[in-house]
Amino acid sequence: MTFSNSNFPDKEGFYGEYGGKFVPETLMYALEELENTYNKLKDNKDFIDEFYKDLSHFVGRPSPLYFAQRLTDHYKSGSIWLKREDLNHTGAHKINNTVGQILLAKYMGKKRIIAETGAGQHGVATATVAARLGLECHIYMGAEDVRRQSLNVYRIKLLGANVHPVDSGSATLKDALNEALRDWVTNVEDTYYIIGSVTGPHPYPMIVRDFNSVVGKEVIEQSKDLFGKMPDAVVACVGGGSNAMGIFHPFIDIKETRLIGVEAGGEGVSTGEHAAPLNDGTPGVLHGARSYLMQDESGQVKDTKSVSAGLDYPGVGPEHSWLKDIGRAEYVAVSDDDALKAFHEVTELEGIMPALETAHAFAYLEPLMKELDSSANVVVNVSGRGDKDINTVAEIDGIEF
Amino acid sequence: MNRLTSKLQNLKENKKKALVAYLVAGDPDLDTTLDLMHLFVDSGVDVIEIGVPFTDPIAEGPTIQKAHDRALKNNISLKMILELVDKFRETNTETPIVLMGYLNTFISHIDLVQSIGENSADSILVVDVPGELNLQTYGITNPNINTISLISPTTKDDRVESIAKNSTGFIYYVTLRGVTGSSNLNIEEIKNNIQKIQQYSDAPTMAGFGIKSVEDASTLAACSDGIVIGSSIVEMIADESKTKEFGRIGEYLREMKTAIS
Ligand SMILES: Cc1ncc(COP(=O)(O)O)c(C=O)c1O
Repeated sequence: MTFSNSNFPDKEGFYGEYGGKFVPETLMYALEELENTYNKLKDNKDFIDEFYKDLSHFVGRPSPLYFAQRLTDHYKSGSIWLKREDLNHTGAHKINNTVGQILLAKYMGKKRIIAETGAGQHGVATATVAARLGLECHIYMGAEDVRRQSLNVYRIKLLGANVHPVDSGSATLKDALNEALRDWVTNVEDTYYIIGSVTGPHPYPMIVRDFNSVVGKEVIEQSKDLFGKMPDAVVACVGGGSNAMGIFHPFIDIKETRLIGVEAGGEGVSTGEHAAPLNDGTPGVLHGARSYLMQDESGQVKDTKSVSAGLDYPGVGPEHSWLKDIGRAEYVAVSDDDALKAFHEVTELEGIMPALETAHAFAYLEPLMKELDSSANVVVNVSGRGDKDINTVAEIDGIEF
Repeated sequence: MNRLTSKLQNLKENKKKALVAYLVAGDPDLDTTLDLMHLFVDSGVDVIEIGVPFTDPIAEGPTIQKAHDRALKNNISLKMILELVDKFRETNTETPIVLMGYLNTFISHIDLVQSIGENSADSILVVDVPGELNLQTYGITNPNINTISLISPTTKDDRVESIAKNSTGFIYYVTLRGVTGSSNLNIEEIKNNIQKIQQYSDAPTMAGFGIKSVEDASTLAACSDGIVIGSSIVEMIADESKTKEFGRIGEYLREMKTAIS
């Protein structure tokens, strides 16, 4: 078995005109080392077996494809299926990637693990796999996200990792990534950087995609079993784009399935106060890759706004930019208000409390189910569970504990 | 001939080492940057490196990051920086100027980059484009400017050659693993690596990142064609941004100049 069925990226790490390796020279050898290691291991039976063994016994895969009866009733049309990544160990899709990358770190003999995190889910997933192997772990997190995702900050600390709040810039995910890259430049020889999304320089977007592709592969099999054909649409939220890429990628050649990525619309795309580069950005270079980016006319990266820390990022993975340009995937945006409404709705109707990131994907069902045929099967990628967001939601609802 | 190329050739022929000094355009404001550029020259600086501010300068340590932030509060753009260089050139047509920044700010202003004239900036250093990539691919082409590539302690031998060939201005040897302003120079390693670079290329090799003391300056100048000083100057600019009493910077640069002579 191999991980990937795609010809992209090309040898230089490009998806069409997006991607690449735009990093300070000091990191070039580390990216090469990582690429060589991954290319060697990805077809190695022992490595693949170890990865899938960890996915089943440590993560708890496969995750169910669950029929959402009351949500389906609510929309009075089609059938809504939930891919339950929220049931994974640590509560989100992020663990698929960290379980894979920590194996690469182990094979490479790295002793020190670093990562950036926005919502804290990737920080938790990284601290978890580092704890399991007894490796030193440092997590960079924007000071604003430390505040709004305090539960996850504490989880990361309990797992024995160090949390470094980042004050620079907008003190969110983008700045955490900057700081993690600076750490890597400084400690490159003994340090493995586990990037948390399909972002950053090549080969990261490819590696993170491949490890998350297990999600889409399972959906293909489960769809056959449960409703006997391919879904009409797959919907996923897009921050950096890893949960979306993971579920989209195995579907790229299955043309009857629409792929819909939902970005964070913040106060509304027309207000400019959002985190939706695929809806309202232009191509630019940030964090080592060329991709759609929220930037001003001088090429400065704009501050973003989203109620969801995990989507609050001005860039997006390069493969999404490519899928947008070739028209294979559609990218829409959902406002904070609509996402919050969906958060409550799904919690009450299904007994499943989604992460605020995931709530964006759910919110898009409202227009989508109206548009689709009444026989349509729609899969929503439930990228994570919402416990981490309880403080944010309570604050918005004016509730004090 | 390009102003930077001829300056460095001239120094080499006279067995002198180059003193390259860095500041961020618009920190604390553009008028002060212009004054500082002249102060640099009066204090013995051979080449001025102007940092083009960017929101996400991933190769910079805290000192220079903060300078970028301060400059961005003044909405400094590449256009304003080229106007600043024009003003500088009204009274100084000798001192070469290098623009150092990140790819996104340059590709957002390709028209400006391509229209740089002979009497303006002389070279561009893009921190986040690996040396063997050709900046021309990104539209950064102009007969009046040459380009500078970085080589670091982690660059493998097979890449040193191709990078050295691509660098038309000078080769910037990054003296440490880390961001600007870090410390812990490994002098032996630096010496060996610069020797290796010089086997592959005749282009001048400057050493920079982490150079603060006169001792470092003189040791590193002895094994290179010159040194680049950044963070310690930027820190002094920050300290005196209210008083604008920059006498200490002049003194410091003169000490450095003596140390490398
Ligand atoms: C539950 C959940 N969903 C989605 C995301 C967004 O990331 P990505 O777009 O890479 O899936 C995050 C990021 O923190 C997350 O925690």
